[in-house]
Amino acid sequence: MPEAIQFLPPRSEVLSRRAAIIADLAGILPADCVIHEGRELVPFETDAFISYRRLPLAVVLPRTTSQVAAVMKYCHENGIPVVPRGAGTSLSGGAIPQEDAVVLGLSRMARILELDYANRTATVQAGVTNLNISDTVAVDGFFYAPDPSSQLACTIGGNIGMNSGGAHCLKYGVTTNNLLGVKLVLVDGQVIELGGKHLDAAGYDLLGLVCGSEGQLGIVTEATVRLIARPEGARPVLFGFATSEQAGACVAGIIASGIIPVAIEFMDKPAIEICEAFAKAGYPLDVGALLIVEVEGSEAEMDAVLENIVEIARRHEVMTVRECQSATEAALIWKGRKSAFGATGRIADYICMDGTVPLGKLSYVLKKTSEITDSFGLRVANVFHAGDGNMHPLILFNANDPEEAMKAEEAGNEILKLCVDAGGCLTGEHGVGIEKRDLMRHQYTQAELNQQMAVRAAFDEDWILNPSKVFPLEGRG
Amino acid sequence: MLIPNSEADAAYVIRNAAADGKHLSICGGNTRGLARLPARSGNVEPISARSLSGMVDYDPAEMVMTVKAGTPVAQVEQALAANRQMMAFEPMDHRGILGPHGNPSVEPTIGGVFAANVSGPRRFVAGAARDSLLGIRFVNGRGEIIRAGGRVMKNVTGLDLVKLLAGSQGTLGFLTEVTFRVLPVPPMTQTIVIFGLDDQTAAKAMAAAMALPVEVSGAAHLPASVRSRFLGGALPEEPGGGEATVLRLEGLTASVEVRAQKLAAIMEAFGPVARLGVDESRILWREIRDVHAYADGSEKPLWRVSVAPSAGAQLVAALRLEAGIDAFYDWQGGLVWMRMEAEAEGDLLRRMIRAFGGGHATLIRASEVVRAEAPTFEPQPDAVAALSARVKAKLDPAGIFGPGKMG
Amino acid sequence: MQTSFTPEQLEDPHVAESEKILRRCVHCGFCTATCPTYVTLGNELDSPRGRIYLIKDMLENGRDADEEVVTHIDRCLSCLSCVTTCPSGVDYMHLVDHARIHIENTYKRPLADRLLRSLLAAVLPYPARFRAALTLAKFGRPFAPLIKRVKALQPLGAMLELAPKTLGNASPAMRGAQPVKGIRRGRVAILAGCAQSVLDPGINEATIRLLARFGIEVVVPEGEGCCGALVHHMGRENEALDFARRNVDVWTRQIEKGGLDAIIITASGCGTTIKDYGHMLRLDPAYAEKAARISALAKDITEYLATLDLLPQEPKRLTVAYHSACSMQHGQKITMAPKLLLKAAGFAVRDPAEGHLCCGSAGTYNILQPEISAQLKVRKVKNIEATKPDIIATGNIGCMTQIGSGTAIPIVHTIELLDWAYGGPKPGKLKG
Repeated sequence: MPEAIQFLPPRSEVLSRRAAIIADLAGILPADCVIHEGRELVPFETDAFISYRRLPLAVVLPRTTSQVAAVMKYCHENGIPVVPRGAGTSLSGGAIPQEDAVVLGLSRMARILELDYANRTATVQAGVTNLNISDTVAVDGFFYAPDPSSQLACTIGGNIGMNSGGAHCLKYGVTTNNLLGVKLVLVDGQVIELGGKHLDAAGYDLLGLVCGSEGQLGIVTEATVRLIARPEGARPVLFGFATSEQAGACVAGIIASGIIPVAIEFMDKPAIEICEAFAKAGYPLDVGALLIVEVEGSEAEMDAVLENIVEIARRHEVMTVRECQSATEAALIWKGRKSAFGATGRIADYICMDGTVPLGKLSYVLKKTSEITDSFGLRVANVFHAGDGNMHPLILFNANDPEEAMKAEEAGNEILKLCVDAGGCLTGEHGVGIEKRDLMRHQYTQAELNQQMAVRAAFDEDWILNPSKVFPLEGRG
Repeated sequence: MLIPNSEADAAYVIRNAAADGKHLSICGGNTRGLARLPARSGNVEPISARSLSGMVDYDPAEMVMTVKAGTPVAQVEQALAANRQMMAFEPMDHRGILGPHGNPSVEPTIGGVFAANVSGPRRFVAGAARDSLLGIRFVNGRGEIIRAGGRVMKNVTGLDLVKLLAGSQGTLGFLTEVTFRVLPVPPMTQTIVIFGLDDQTAAKAMAAAMALPVEVSGAAHLPASVRSRFLGGALPEEPGGGEATVLRLEGLTASVEVRAQKLAAIMEAFGPVARLGVDESRILWREIRDVHAYADGSEKPLWRVSVAPSAGAQLVAALRLEAGIDAFYDWQGGLVWMRMEAEAEGDLLRRMIRAFGGGHATLIRASEVVRAEAPTFEPQPDAVAALSARVKAKLDPAGIFGPGKMG
Repeated sequence: MQTSFTPEQLEDPHVAESEKILRRCVHCGFCTATCPTYVTLGNELDSPRGRIYLIKDMLENGRDADEEVVTHIDRCLSCLSCVTTCPSGVDYMHLVDHARIHIENTYKRPLADRLLRSLLAAVLPYPARFRAALTLAKFGRPFAPLIKRVKALQPLGAMLELAPKTLGNASPAMRGAQPVKGIRRGRVAILAGCAQSVLDPGINEATIRLLARFGIEVVVPEGEGCCGALVHHMGRENEALDFARRNVDVWTRQIEKGGLDAIIITASGCGTTIKDYGHMLRLDPAYAEKAARISALAKDITEYLATLDLLPQEPKRLTVAYHSACSMQHGQKITMAPKLLLKAAGFAVRDPAEGHLCCGSAGTYNILQPEISAQLKVRKVKNIEATKPDIIATGNIGCMTQIGSGTAIPIVHTIELLDWAYGGPKPGKLKG
């Protein structure tokens, strides 16, 4: 396994006290909440960024906020790193543990606590899955807007950690725009509440700071999120183009015209083939690139908006336009799109990039991306949220070939640097994690990193929380 | 007043102030009344970004604008209007309500909009100012120039200092440049007016409207006491009560028409309904945004109260039993503009807010005497206050920015 | 994902197959969300992804199974919900099959567990023995609450509680060919099977009646028996393959004798296994081809009926909650046919929420893992009852027993309702 990215060296004073720490944790929590047998730790050694793996010291699965607080207090007092984990679906290695760390899993805190339709809020425990919220409120005509592709499995706590986005963020925003409050366990075990059901919180926007902080500022155990009335109807439409460049230009054209659809998703030929194989959604296989454009509202409204979009697509020489005919068909179209990463596993191993670029640079970056992967002799599949420039090149490789795995990482780094140089950023919605940590210098100066790390230290002076992530190891001061 | 001419200049001034232990009070146009708070220390010098002005980058096709922080809001709005775009979060203009303190000849700056996180009636669908803010440049308390965020909508690269600085009222850093998302101006706006609802019923009506798939982009309730202050008293008359509950619909013309019919039909269950066209609607919502009802030239204490939307009317009803107040509601009842007829009653108000599920109150307008006694910003629970103080110390270690202002 | 097996390890065809399966997994974690044990226990070790990882670790290191691994593999229901969910196409079914065989071969279970499993393997697949055991259970039932207080005896308690209070008469000999009325349109064999024929012989009777009405000749060949699923899921591979070979022989003789359009199965749990005969016997040169042919002919009764174009019937003003057995929806991917048939037959059909989750029956799971099974049953019944049905319909005897023990709403086999709608008698459970 290539190991280009380093972890912090384990704290030897923690490793040497492993047995005592486990005994203490077993005293703090019920017996079935502490996992420490060697074999049982193995499944927790990684998340969805499987190139990197580290066995944790122990795993705890608390059921209440006070249990979380007790674990944090203990670990803080004893200098034991803590790595929070939701469903372990991070694509950037945000939940990968380290040898001296206790994995704090929130999977057992999975209850929906309150639905308040008068205020259109849901208060849920951190381990509730994203889709579970929308599924639960659907019968009453509401939904929770951010919809990362892993929404079936990923937890709201993890979404807050990574400020997750999704396909429909173009209209409704990402997690931070839909989060009203959290219950947060601080590193020393104090429990605070930020925000609530009111629309803006008092004081500094600590809620905004915590959202996207990758589990480094505290442990979110409960969240209050906004619910939105479900539109009368929604219609995904497929637009097939001969080339990726044409599709990319069409995206820029749609946005420039002042139309903001709910979602504009992009797939290139390899991605179309992969998704069609799993979902059988009826994606056209004879095109070079595909856009899924979703509009919503009443029938008349959707017709009107679509008419404009079709007109723009024509100008970009669209080959096929297919409106979906039924709710089942629409569900299949989205199922295919949302399963794209996993479905790629059918043909190869992959790493998934997450850079975001200004819309005007979309075509350029797409072209450069394939040049980069070509130069490494690797294949790439592109499937991403085009409307907001959030690109997800999937670099395909063979994980059992160490040399190729190394090349894939290098190509990935090149692509991310390209995104930054094009005026974008390293990560739009997957987080820095461990994957992009060492590229942070490409986007920020040392003074800027120092400022972020100083703010981090206001929450966690001793780097207990998820310590190997986000900030380059050198220069931590 | 310090008025640096460049970002580098600002960094230099701030570095020196930190070295000299001098305190700075950051303002833009100083039009929002909050820069003038009494400081704990006497040695405070105002510093304004008004000379850091001008457009840096604006590509209408990308719907992103970058401007220097001291650029007048009017200039930004003009540039946007020329491209039929807008700041969707509708920043209010405080000058009207500030009476003797609101100097109409001074322009509010775009930096001030974000530093105070000023957000209008479209809060539900467009978010607050902080939700549109994509990137910033600022000078921290060490005099270092820091960039945060960027110019793309999705960005989780590192800690979100953009959000932290937004709404920090100039106590964490000196904004020099802001990059924000803009949106097309909706071609059509209509307003559904429901007459004669008491506050509690209006709260129910607004909640019902917001739960419909018609995308209401503004929900306000104007009790009888304030109604005549809007549209020059020209809100259509209906027998049976002076209250007006107003719901805004925006979008493509055909679509708004369909939604307006649907919404009006459903709202008829609550009371008599009328519709306002595009011109009246635009004026009305601007007046709601700018709290026109209380642009009364007085110094009566004015609170901006943020609570759960369903709690707004209950809070006001409970307060009325103990104090003389006048109020109207935006954000479906979640934003209460409350004018106290005598004392500021900060303690009472804040106790009641806690009793009704939490939220916070900001004293937007008050005489110097009242200000000295009532904390302008909501006092925080100890643990949060301590955390906020630590955060501030990390950006402004010498505590030079607006000491005692927030947290 | 990356794997590390030596070339020597990969010479074992089971290992080679597992390696191929593992390579497809990208560890995305989607499977956790729809796994009944993960949503119940909240521990990744009790999720497909956790088990895959445990199995991978065990196989790569060539290790014998140990208590930890066995605990978590045993908790797997083999409901295959994860297989439906998995975008990468990980063949979890055959991976966990392999793990179960590996456990059976390398791990010595505690005595009580061994005895129980041997007892189940010796009784359930044999109708005469099972019938005798159920008669005995009648006398044991009053002691069930007492027995359940002793941890080691909990499975026995669960078993006693599941045993039906009354048992129909021993099925009249339905062996041989059942004549058709009118023109013969087809000829099929039906699996008489094991447990179902004892617990509810009415299901196959209804099937045969209905098929006869549509001109399908049904043979119930001598010599067939349990499909092997019960022992297969316990990792008892040799026994399972013996059952499979016996049935392959019986049906092959029928094909040679008069041809078969299909082999009809009325218990979806058995259907999943019989459709897998081709895979199970792929390494047996004498059987590989024959078994593949049998698997290709195997059809769930609803799958077969869907090809017959049954005429729509008058609406009946009866609401049916359709419970899709895991072996039906995940194992065989039959999701629409049963509901469409019921609708055409005039019933109002409801889909309960969380339809993808197992009811906790899962073969012998409700006996071997009574606690998890009971939680799943409660959840399932709650979801079903929320649809306010008059009747619950499903296509698997295990689910019928499990759900039936948790609700007062009558639960019947889909085919019993169809038989009724197309001229047969009203199902016994709906009378009175």
